[in-house]
Amino acid sequence: MDVSNSGPQTTGSEDWPSDWLRATLGFLALRALSAGPSYGYAIISELERHGFGTIKGGTLYPLLTRYETAGLVTTEWRAGAGGPGRKYFALTDQGRAELTRLSADWRRFATISTDYLNP
Amino acid sequence: MMQQTSDKQWFDQLVMELRLRQVHGSAIGDTIASAKELLNDTGQQAEEAFGSARDYAAALELPSAPKHEWVRKALWPALLGLLAFLLFNQAVVSWTRQELLLVSPAQLILLATPVVLIAFLPFYLDAVIRRIWVCVGITAICMLSGLFSAFATPTNRAEAWLALDPLPWLIGGALVMVVLSLRNTVRSFHSEDDDDITSPLSGPTESTGAGARAMVQVTNWLFPILALAMLGLALAFR
Repeated sequence: MDVSNSGPQTTGSEDWPSDWLRATLGFLALRALSAGPSYGYAIISELERHGFGTIKGGTLYPLLTRYETAGLVTTEWRAGAGGPGRKYFALTDQGRAELTRLSADWRRFATISTDYLNP
Repeated sequence: MMQQTSDKQWFDQLVMELRLRQVHGSAIGDTIASAKELLNDTGQQAEEAFGSARDYAAALELPSAPKHEWVRKALWPALLGLLAFLLFNQAVVSWTRQELLLVSPAQLILLATPVVLIAFLPFYLDAVIRRIWVCVGITAICMLSGLFSAFATPTNRAEAWLALDPLPWLIGGALVMVVLSLRNTVRSFHSEDDDDITSPLSGPTESTGAGARAMVQVTNWLFPILALAMLGLALAFR
């Protein structure tokens, strides 16, 4: 994934309640890695581009570190072209399965919540 | 310039916080490199992107060495070295004057003070590192107890609680110091014990220069060097 390859959806920054982001950032970060290995700034830019606001490094990196410990992602340092290296995060099979499970759970939860809000 | 200075302070504090958590040097190097990578991409200041260094180090929950491994590996040998050095110092003056080593209870308590303070260091290490006045206070107590122990030295055998032949204590203290220094020297050359902070891409980033290596060896041989200086002084002023 590359920051320069911006997707079609550019919904701008949003100021969502921090509780909402705290609850969903885990599988959103996994989703951001589903297209292929990516690095910190690219993940933050991807989430920002899709309207989740600017996620801080102090929030993202501890999450990815925990996922690495749990075996959901692997990391690899790649030398940068003329600049510092980049730490790439990639989904493992376990991470992909977890993303599938959490996505399904979230869709079910969102449907129930939406149905309840719109009787 | 201001940003570079505050970021440097932030990174220094991050390294200290991770060291306090017994995180391995390679993991610290990885954390620093990934944080610098993001700051380079965003142009943010470290505090702005990651919050306080202390909170960030805690949030990372990086794997750490067993909590008291450094006590076994570093503190106990250092404590033994200090004890040997203190015994050597007490014995060296008596030996150069060809007198008995006279010891009073007050002197023993004063000499034991720094040993006890260092032995309990794991319980208050955080406070020593985070609060300068705790560090200054502990250092002052150690220095004053050493100073007062000189005044508490018995002047004659009647005042002494113990009267010992100084030579075995002198030789014993010297042997312990040399053995510990040799052990530390061997360990510092042993790659398995290498806990330097290493960059994930370019290898060691700190403490690898000739000056740093020389400093490690001076530290390893600090007690024997000081003991030799004390022996020289005692011989000069006998």
